[in-house]
Amino acid sequence: MSPRGTVAAHHLWKRFRPDRGRSLLRDEIERLRTHGPRKSWTWALRDVDFEIAPGGSFAFVGSNGSGKSTLLKILTQVMYPYAGSIEAVGRVGALIEVASGIHPDLTGRENCYLYGSLLGLHRGRVAAQFDEIVAFAELEDAIDRQVKYYSSGMKMRLGFGVAAFLEPDVLLVDEVLAVGDATFQQRCLDRMRQVVAQGTTLVYVSHDLATVEAMCSNALWLKKGVVQEMGSSADVLTGYRRWIEEGAETSSSMDGRIRVMKASVSGVDGQAVTTGEPACIEVHLQAPEPCAGTLQLGISQGPASPLFLLKHAVELEGADLAVRCDVATLPFAGGRYYLWLGVFGEQGQDITPWQPAAHFQIVGQPLDEAPVGIVRLAPLQIEADWSIQER
Amino acid sequence: MTEEVADRPDGPPPELRFRRRVGFRSALRDLWRARELIRSLTERQLRARYKQAALGLAWAVITPLVYMVVFTLFFSRVADVDTGGAPYALFSYIALLPWTFFSTGVSQAALSLVSNMSLLNKVSCPREVFPLSSVAGAGIDTAIATLVLGVLFIVTGYAPRATSYWVPVLVVIGVVFTTAVSLVMAVLTVYLRDLRHVLPIFLQVGLFATPVAYGIEVVPADLRGLYSALNPIAPVIDGLRRCVLEGQAPRTGLVVIGAVSSLVQLIAGYRLFKRLETGIADVA
Repeated sequence: MSPRGTVAAHHLWKRFRPDRGRSLLRDEIERLRTHGPRKSWTWALRDVDFEIAPGGSFAFVGSNGSGKSTLLKILTQVMYPYAGSIEAVGRVGALIEVASGIHPDLTGRENCYLYGSLLGLHRGRVAAQFDEIVAFAELEDAIDRQVKYYSSGMKMRLGFGVAAFLEPDVLLVDEVLAVGDATFQQRCLDRMRQVVAQGTTLVYVSHDLATVEAMCSNALWLKKGVVQEMGSSADVLTGYRRWIEEGAETSSSMDGRIRVMKASVSGVDGQAVTTGEPACIEVHLQAPEPCAGTLQLGISQGPASPLFLLKHAVELEGADLAVRCDVATLPFAGGRYYLWLGVFGEQGQDITPWQPAAHFQIVGQPLDEAPVGIVRLAPLQIEADWSIQER
Repeated sequence: MTEEVADRPDGPPPELRFRRRVGFRSALRDLWRARELIRSLTERQLRARYKQAALGLAWAVITPLVYMVVFTLFFSRVADVDTGGAPYALFSYIALLPWTFFSTGVSQAALSLVSNMSLLNKVSCPREVFPLSSVAGAGIDTAIATLVLGVLFIVTGYAPRATSYWVPVLVVIGVVFTTAVSLVMAVLTVYLRDLRHVLPIFLQVGLFATPVAYGIEVVPADLRGLYSALNPIAPVIDGLRRCVLEGQAPRTGLVVIGAVSSLVQLIAGYRLFKRLETGIADVA
């Protein structure tokens, strides 16, 4: 048997009936009477295969409906696969939904013990950690109140506190940190890092790629139930971000009252863009009818939220417009970046919707690595001189 | 995002099919490990129920008490029931205890999985802990309602007989049968949600199909064996009346039939439960 904390899946397959909302006796009788066909199946996971060593930190990324949560449910052994097998050795602490399945009519304290016994812990064990959990969740005043009067943030804090402090061998965290405020999110990340340092295996699912990068050394990208890429989280995230951006490119309509005919980002004299060097953004706009607005440019790493924005008024009166914007310096680390743009009216209404217009490569050094659990918001490459003296 | 995902076969090769093997002994071992959980769930259920209800614990007593009063006022006058000398109030109340235990246990167990779906979707534990804790909760209710039986003995001036030592045997049969039906109803309700509307009717009919308001003597003697096999609550009730009220030993034949039938149903029900348990999260 593998050591405690091992998590592995071998050729995992899982399928569902798409309309699983209804399961009624009435339907079954109807089906028997009319000899109707059974509903068809769709695959949620297809041949998923991975292994996480004890103490590893692993992320599942993928768009909605790609099978991440199904995979987590199979790992918690709440759900069973159609084919293949899984291994999750040791006690699995899972934090899958914000509501946490915690009973609303009971107080926070009672829920703590209930959750403990769900994890197979005796009261003594929970009692030993109880004060720490309460302090972590900042629920000192509310712990004897019924959970139904908690805010969603409080519920999440309680759930996270219980799952993370009861010393599981495997901790599964599914997109729950989004509810907490910024300070608490950082504390959760700190706690997850401590837990990993103690040898717990972490499986983390999130759409917040910055925290994935910060927490997990390895990642797995699921696409429609199939493993698209697996490896170090930096590599997987690069591919995943590129895919998101390409999806946005094809799905967003290029149609607006002002059309973008061409957009590009280049370095000095048409050379490659280099970290810290000047760059030039060129946009070619066309409009069938006269129209005016503000052109917004943004550079991003893939998703729609840009690292910075630049804006300028534009006015089209029949003729096409060639807009050129010279940037004194692009202080970003080497990698792939995207130019997003849009044109907006006076009240902020869309003239040309916000869309990715071009991608480009920045040549430069990679960034210094961040410590585990620290989220770096932007890949800024800052020049620095160090001096260290002994006193 | 319509592009085809990587080439994959349409389904897994058959040799990879996941087969969940649940051995009887390992299932019982897991269940034993989850005993703390059953306790927590029972406690949670009772707390949640009695915290909300205005009359609190009194609810446990009210259901059998109301039926007893109704039966005493109407049924005993319309039909001439042979109570074997005991006051009719005692005669019906002692039967209402196992019946109420069965009916609350089963009706709460039937909803136990459906109403705990959020938990079931999150944490793995032996699923039978939910219906079992419903049965345990009903057991505690029944224990409270039994206190009223003591009051009835004092009020009527009728003393329980020495043969009452048979009671534990009968209680075990009642618990085994109730557990069997509870497990089956709990897991079936997950797959066929409208069963919950059928169940109350079934239980209402059951109340009159069981010798609660009348004695088992109403059933022709040669059918009593079959009757006891189908409804083991009947020999339990009859046994309780005979040993507590009449001072006789229970009818051995019927009790044995009821015991064997309950045990067979429990084993079959538990197997069915374990089998269907695998898919619960899929239809949640």
